[in-house]
Amino acid sequence: MSTNNSFNPFRMAQEQFDHVADLIGLDQSTKELLRVPMREYHFSIPVKMDDGHVKVFRGYRCQHNDARGPAKGGIRFHPQETIDTVRALSMWMTWKTAVVNLPLGGGKGGVICDPHNLSMREQEQICRGWVRQIAKNIGPVSDVPAPDVMTNAQHMLWMMDEFETIHGGRYPGFITGKPVGMGGSLGRTEATGYGVVYTIREALKELKIDPKSTTASIQGFGNVAQYAIELYTQLGGTVIAVSCWDQKDQTSYTYKKNDGIELKGLLEITDRFGGIDKNKAQDLGYEILDGDQWIEQEVDILIPAAIENQVTGETIQKVSKKVKIIAEGANGPTTPEADAVINERNIFIIPDFLANAGGVTCSYFEQVQSNTNYFWEKEEVLGKLDTKMTTAFIAVNELVRSKNLYGRDAAYVIAISRVAQAVKDRGWV
Amino acid sequence: MTTTQNKYDLLVDIIDEQAKGLSSLYEIEEVLHNSAIDTVDALGEIANLIQESFKIHGKCSTILQYRDHIFHSGGKTKYPHKVSADIIVRKRKLGLITSTFKKKRPKNFKSEKEFLQSIAYRIADFLLYRRLKSIFYDWETTKQEFTDKKSGEWLVILELLRRTDPELFFRISRKMLNYLIWQGFKEAEEILKKFIPQNRQENGAGEVNSPQEKHTFEDSLVLSRDIFKIARNNFDNDTILALIQNWIQQDKISFLVRVTANNNSSLTDISHALRRYFQIAPKGLTLAHSIKIGVSASLIRRFFSDQLEFINIAKKFVTISDFAELAKQMIFPDESHGKLGGKSAGLFLAKHVLDEYKKDNPLLDSIKTPNTWYITSDTMVQFMEYNNLEDILEQKYKTIDEIRREYPHVILLFKRSHFPLQILQGLSMALDDFGDHPLIVRSSSLLEDRLGAAFSGKYKSLFISNQGTKQEKLQSLTDAIAEVYASTLGPDPIEYRASKGLLDFHEEMGIMIQEVVGQQIGDYFFSAYAGVAFSKNEFLWSPRIKRDDGLVRIVPGLGTRAVDRIGDDYPIMVAPGRPELRTNITIEENIRYSPKYIDVINLRKNKFETIEIASLLKNYGHIYPGIEHIVSVFQQNHLVKANRLMTDFTKEDLIITFNGIFKDTTFIKQLRSILTILKNELQTPVDIEFASDGEDFYLLQCRPQSQTDAAAPARIPKNLVKEDIIFSANKFVSNGKLKNIEYIVYVSPEGYSALTSLERMKKVGRAISKLNKALPARKFILLGPGRWGSRGDIKLGVSVTYSDINNTAALIEIARKKGDYTPDLSFGTHFFQDLVEAKIRYLPLYPDEKRNIFREDFFNNSENILSTLLPEYEILNDVIKVIDVKPRIFKLLMNADSNHALGILTDKK
Repeated sequence: MSTNNSFNPFRMAQEQFDHVADLIGLDQSTKELLRVPMREYHFSIPVKMDDGHVKVFRGYRCQHNDARGPAKGGIRFHPQETIDTVRALSMWMTWKTAVVNLPLGGGKGGVICDPHNLSMREQEQICRGWVRQIAKNIGPVSDVPAPDVMTNAQHMLWMMDEFETIHGGRYPGFITGKPVGMGGSLGRTEATGYGVVYTIREALKELKIDPKSTTASIQGFGNVAQYAIELYTQLGGTVIAVSCWDQKDQTSYTYKKNDGIELKGLLEITDRFGGIDKNKAQDLGYEILDGDQWIEQEVDILIPAAIENQVTGETIQKVSKKVKIIAEGANGPTTPEADAVINERNIFIIPDFLANAGGVTCSYFEQVQSNTNYFWEKEEVLGKLDTKMTTAFIAVNELVRSKNLYGRDAAYVIAISRVAQAVKDRGWV
Repeated sequence: MTTTQNKYDLLVDIIDEQAKGLSSLYEIEEVLHNSAIDTVDALGEIANLIQESFKIHGKCSTILQYRDHIFHSGGKTKYPHKVSADIIVRKRKLGLITSTFKKKRPKNFKSEKEFLQSIAYRIADFLLYRRLKSIFYDWETTKQEFTDKKSGEWLVILELLRRTDPELFFRISRKMLNYLIWQGFKEAEEILKKFIPQNRQENGAGEVNSPQEKHTFEDSLVLSRDIFKIARNNFDNDTILALIQNWIQQDKISFLVRVTANNNSSLTDISHALRRYFQIAPKGLTLAHSIKIGVSASLIRRFFSDQLEFINIAKKFVTISDFAELAKQMIFPDESHGKLGGKSAGLFLAKHVLDEYKKDNPLLDSIKTPNTWYITSDTMVQFMEYNNLEDILEQKYKTIDEIRREYPHVILLFKRSHFPLQILQGLSMALDDFGDHPLIVRSSSLLEDRLGAAFSGKYKSLFISNQGTKQEKLQSLTDAIAEVYASTLGPDPIEYRASKGLLDFHEEMGIMIQEVVGQQIGDYFFSAYAGVAFSKNEFLWSPRIKRDDGLVRIVPGLGTRAVDRIGDDYPIMVAPGRPELRTNITIEENIRYSPKYIDVINLRKNKFETIEIASLLKNYGHIYPGIEHIVSVFQQNHLVKANRLMTDFTKEDLIITFNGIFKDTTFIKQLRSILTILKNELQTPVDIEFASDGEDFYLLQCRPQSQTDAAAPARIPKNLVKEDIIFSANKFVSNGKLKNIEYIVYVSPEGYSALTSLERMKKVGRAISKLNKALPARKFILLGPGRWGSRGDIKLGVSVTYSDINNTAALIEIARKKGDYTPDLSFGTHFFQDLVEAKIRYLPLYPDEKRNIFREDFFNNSENILSTLLPEYEILNDVIKVIDVKPRIFKLLMNADSNHALGILTDKK
């Protein structure tokens, strides 16, 4: 089935890299080095199953690049995991940490397995087996894993425990995504949403617009959107529309209030997935529109913070002339066709891997706190987050301004350049 | 001298006479004291002695009569002067002494009279003594004999019986004879021949019209003696004694056997007989096994079911006393011949099967059933007659539309009708028994017997809060019963019966009134948790789960949300055989697919309600029984075990996971035991309902597990035309049958994997979503590569959400070989539970395995109507094939029993 013509995420990541590398004018050796992961580990994890028989699982770890610091990236449990997926994702991690200027590299790992067919004990054995196979090649100063598809805090704790058992000490900085009290960091819940708004605040400064005079429409009402609304409202902005998925009706709706939505009241009628109770919203005086009408609102700022492929060649046509900023809270909400229109209409784009980098930044803070075994108060975490995001934004923005680059391209350029610089500085190329 | 001589002579005579008299008395005493002498001889002697003493008075004679004996002394001549005395023993005249004299005697024979009288008294004493002595002697010697042979007691009993109740004595003799014959004693057969005239035995050709000879009492006595002689020679004392005692007891309860065996006995007769039986022996009698079984079988038949399979199983587990208990909680009209219905029967039997196993299995100790009263099926008939509602029965022959339209009126009519006084009295007793406990009124239909679970659920079960005055309670109880009765005429059951050709079956419905398991918290009454469990798991969410691992659907609160599939909420599912393989793995799944609502009875408003769990826990989390076993705490993207002391159940973010119950209690093991035992003993997979009040496990219902038509194992036809088979599957097949599929939507694995852009792949998902709305609901199936709805990586499967596919009848995932290996399909797509709740069938296909058929040519060569339906997606023509199979139809037949499934084309009939 896997023919040369088929979709290959790694090849797609390489093409994207090639495009930017050409833009920068990267030399051939650096290009060659950065086009593929520096190290790849493939290994077997034998696990004694609950019924006594032994099943061998296939595990991976790719360290795409660690010139700027220890590799950082998640561990995925997926039944149809492929090395190409892991390679692609590890490369994206390198760019993501670089754009926020974190002293980290990029990595990714995984195990071909389906947790739906595994008991918790078996999953624990896979986690421990994974660490045993690669314990020499990962660690707080070389490669720091994190949760990803179908793994969570519990898996991280099992892995940490195995690592610490092997190395005979306490190394909470080996892994991130741990619960608070077990080496986790405060502020993680807020980090991504707040990060989006830190970049919006800076973009408004750049555009010389007073946040208090602005309005926004948001797609999604999950964790990211909720905290983005909270901080944006604190800045004086007014969110007039928010759209979300209605599980019962199996469709989405946009909830609108011209004088601004009231976050606290809405949260009280919202489920854990950010689904707003339609009837109760009506009672609260919200106007209920179709799910895709969030994008048509007469606002200054659009924040797609739900799923990918929302701002398309088609939907971008409905975007109001008033819109000045699109901040991508979600991953990949904008299609290339839409990008072209955004660029043409001179709308300020804050690309996803910058706008939503608050998450990975907080992971980095967790790592730092764990390594020093000193844990900060939430305010300290959020304060440092603000600094990091603001600095990152300013760097990208300067490039946008000075080189007249499209926002998304500028972010890639800055990320890849930083990594290229690091490998040069180290004398690797 | 002569005078003096005379006087002297006279004096001498007198003295001599007196001396003789005294001497006679003395001699008589001598005789009477001679223990060696026979009574008759003694009396003869005495007659002679009397005659001897009177002889001196001249001619005389003496006669002594005793019973039939007559003793003459002094000849048979009777002289003119007579003196006599009666011999009276214990007020009965047993004899007479008479003496006659030729000459008169002084003072009119006064002294002679006194003399005879004193002798008569002495003889009477003597006779009494002799009689007592003989009785005493008999007793002593019998006793001695018994002791010598060590076989005393049973003989005594038999002897007593013979004297006091000869009929029972002969019945017992006859039973012993039968017993001896069964044991193979030839002598006994000889005796039997004496009971049956020879000519009858030999004339085996036909009936004999002349009456049998009647044996005399004496004949029978002799035969009995012979029978017991054989017994004594062959069995020890204890055995014979036990047999006799047993037969006597059996005889005592023969009325019970007669009443239960008689089809004409009413339930009133039967319950009277049961009551009488337990009055005779409150602890029950030791009955012969065969009798016990016989009576139980009759009772099972009368109370529950004529079905032999049911009786055969039930009679092994239920006892007569179980029925006596049951009868105390039954409400029925006079002369009732009704039954209790399928639901009651199932629960009653399951309870007793489990009770039987409690001895050896401590896991079953805490299993209870709720307090239940039963109304027999013919009460409904009586109710209808009483209110002249019989005409309404014809309702079932109307068109479905008419029935649907008129049904609300039927309910109203039933609710406004009255119950006969006798039934009201019964209900009133039941209410007194229930107190203020909320109740559920369940239908227990006779049709359920015939149709199994497929039919259950078609009739109503209603909760009532059972609060207020007695009158109010009775009113709401009768309202509920009337409404359940009315539901026999509801459109759904009628339609179903019509389709099964059972419209003419006279439906009668029993009712169960059960206490709702649970407790009051605030205004609400609910179970801590409740659910359903099945022997066979029809939703294999992992290939590691086998059908026999079973399935549990469990929810907090009343079990209604687990029984029914509710579109927007989810019960927690677990396979008791593989409890560690859960449906919800990721945190997101745990949150998404956890119950959000809870069914409760609002005692203040007197109604059944569905409320949000979150708000209930906010107010009452801290007093919800066993809450720490039901919820997990959601903290920082992490599910943490709840802790009775440390968790604030009113403030924390709680997710219903039942992790505590599954991991920290014996719940799973207990359920597995229950399912295994019931399945083995009832010889069929079962479907049970359960509930818990936080402490005990209650069994609420048990019936054979059968499926709705769509979920029953499909018959896989043989001899199909090869060209008509589109695909086959032999792995992880669940049950199901889809018969009217008109469209096949096929995403080509090759076409999909050849897509080079992400955008194009996502477009496939969007096209599927559009087709989902464009095609007629449940008339199409989806086939495609890999894992549908995969979130991690789009190239692994078409990117869709549940709402993009919710109208399909089946989702079929195709696993093609990749180099050396075929990837494991994940059955647990993240919307798997949505599929389950929406009854969308799921099937994995492995086309590259040798024995499987997969007609790629059919998919590739059939006309593709994609561009007709969705012109804007024409570009995906090589990836998505939409095939309209009409005028033929496509069938999907899935049989989990044989692990075989076929997709076939057939002609529409």
